[in-house]
Amino acid sequence: MLILIAEDDELILRTVEHKLVKEGHEVVLTRNGREAIEKISELDLDLVVTDIMMPFASGIEILSAIKSIEKKIPVIVLSSMGQEEVVVDAFDLGASDFMVKPFSPNELMLRIKRLTDK
Amino acid sequence: MHYDIALHELILAIIVVLILVLLLIISVLSYSFYSYRILHYRHMWKRIIEYKIMETIVGGDGESERDSAFSKHLKEPSFRALFLNVLVDSDRKFSGAAKQAINSLFHQFKLEDEAWRKLRERKAYRVAGGIQELAAMNVEAAIPEIKAKLHDERTTVYQEAQYAMVSFEGYEGLGFLEHFNKPLSDWQQLRLLYSIHQIPEQSDLQVDVWLKSTNDSVVIFTLRLIRKFRLMTYYTAIYDLLDHTATAVRVQAIRTMQAIENSTTVRQFITCFGQQPIEVQLEILKSMKAARSKESEEFLKEQLWNHQEVAIKIAAAEVLVVLGERYYLQEISQQSDTYDQLKQIIKHALQEKKC
Repeated sequence: MLILIAEDDELILRTVEHKLVKEGHEVVLTRNGREAIEKISELDLDLVVTDIMMPFASGIEILSAIKSIEKKIPVIVLSSMGQEEVVVDAFDLGASDFMVKPFSPNELMLRIKRLTDK
Repeated sequence: MHYDIALHELILAIIVVLILVLLLIISVLSYSFYSYRILHYRHMWKRIIEYKIMETIVGGDGESERDSAFSKHLKEPSFRALFLNVLVDSDRKFSGAAKQAINSLFHQFKLEDEAWRKLRERKAYRVAGGIQELAAMNVEAAIPEIKAKLHDERTTVYQEAQYAMVSFEGYEGLGFLEHFNKPLSDWQQLRLLYSIHQIPEQSDLQVDVWLKSTNDSVVIFTLRLIRKFRLMTYYTAIYDLLDHTATAVRVQAIRTMQAIENSTTVRQFITCFGQQPIEVQLEILKSMKAARSKESEEFLKEQLWNHQEVAIKIAAAEVLVVLGERYYLQEISQQSDTYDQLKQIIKHALQEKKC
């Protein structure tokens, strides 16, 4: 499976990357929303894990971009506490799942597995 | 002779000035280089530390080169201080097993000593840092010392101590509220509220005592707490707050009554409306909008026609729209005897709904 992670926090990005590689996935890393949108249109991705707040373009803009190019990619949104309204917007735009930070990387792996197994 | 001495002194003065300028340039350059090196080291160290944390979370095989770099720097006090900082910062990002892994690093490398040292320093920001680190790493032995800091005069220290107590003890950590006489900022209230996940069934803490506090911010915080956990049993005590001296408390009381409403709430809003200042009246109308009760219809029509304040008339019209009284509003706006201001208000309310 080819999975894109869009996250501006280096520790979270690397931790999720290593977990996914350990599970046998191929991973594409992006540190801002604009780069993520470019990769999404270029690559044939199986899943996207994105933070909500990122430089240049937010997780919501990434979801809009996926919707506009009509690609059916499952998206897991990572949000912070107090972003409940944004999460609702994310679901309206087609997000498949969300996790609130602080989050458990193990639980994220389970959710990824559930979506990629479908 | 006289000119010779003057010229000689002038040249000497120029040379001195030039030397001073040169020294200044050298010191600025040295300082910049020193700052750059510190920044460079911090950046490099942060990468090493983050890798170590990531490796611990993921359960990696321990890359020898990086691991030896980590061990080498571990003896340096500034590296240990940064390690502690990054560790506390990382603790806020993860939960579950990852959080436990971060915690294990704290104990494994004996960073507790650094945190204790900070807690006992004089500078407020250092003390607050120490409290934050000990609480984040769940060092329960620090509870008595942190508890003592609740009475510290410095805002940063007592705020961090309050937050730490709630991190350690959850709801029970709010015991300080009973005697707290300083303002509890909005930001601090939110931090505390977010940290409380449940209220135990058996607790010695008295929510009704906090509701009677002379500290308005404590009363407001308690009302927010009641809203978060829908503590219905305090409904009557909240209703009694509608004659509180502080308008901000009354506004919060209205919001809380609406959040835990019962069959009498709308009637109570109508009864107390006349005795309230405009801010509270507006809050009551907002709550009526959320309640969508037909019981308030006649009352709202009366406010629309007879209230002196335009803001209240607008709010009343908006609630009527939500209650499905669009036809009634359109009808009165077309009547020739309706005054112009009211027509404008109704037009605004009807457009507002369309948007």
